[in-house]
Amino acid sequence: MGTPPITNRIRRLRFDHGELTQQELANRIGVTRQTVNAIELGKYSPSLEVAFRIAAAFKVPLEEVFQFTESTP
Amino acid sequence: MSFREKSAWITFVLILVFFGVYFTRVAAVIFAGHSARGLSTLFFVLVGSLIGLEVVLHLALAVQSPREARTPKDERERLIELRATRIAFPVLLVGAFAAIGMLHLPAGRWEMAQAVLFAIVVAELVRFGAQIVYFRRDA
Repeated sequence: MGTPPITNRIRRLRFDHGELTQQELANRIGVTRQTVNAIELGKYSPSLEVAFRIAAAFKVPLEEVFQFTESTP
Repeated sequence: MSFREKSAWITFVLILVFFGVYFTRVAAVIFAGHSARGLSTLFFVLVGSLIGLEVVLHLALAVQSPREARTPKDERERLIELRATRIAFPVLLVGAFAAIGMLHLPAGRWEMAQAVLFAIVVAELVRFGAQIVYFRRDA
């Protein structure tokens, strides 16, 4: 399997925010810990709403959390 | 393993075991000519036990992880449920049409009812099985 087109820096941002746990982030954005884990590992692309909530939780713009790498379809 | 995945496992295993027992008896009636006497009672006992065990095991699960049990399903979990239902629905359709097709066989109402029930059970197993696969894939 190739690299997913949407990558993220959630692990890094959690580390930068005092080693915020997946559970704490999940509580802040209103999803389960397993969903945060799936997003972090690139196995699940969240809705726009959850993506914005994650960015808001870290107080950074959306593009600092998620990056889109355009690839040939 | 998440609360929802454990819940899917509980339901999948219970349906498999309880209806496995029931349809083994049904197969003995249809294919080996055994008497169907007591089968209705067995059905209601098995369904009652299944519901009872579902409740008890889910209560135990909720006691074990109370916060997860209280948390509403999030978007990924809802998507997993929808995907699993999308896979299971054609299975139910095929089973229902197969049951209708039994009109052309020398089968009675009882056999047709068993065929419909079998289609529902298989579709439910596919639904919960697919949920488990999707949950595992994301883990």
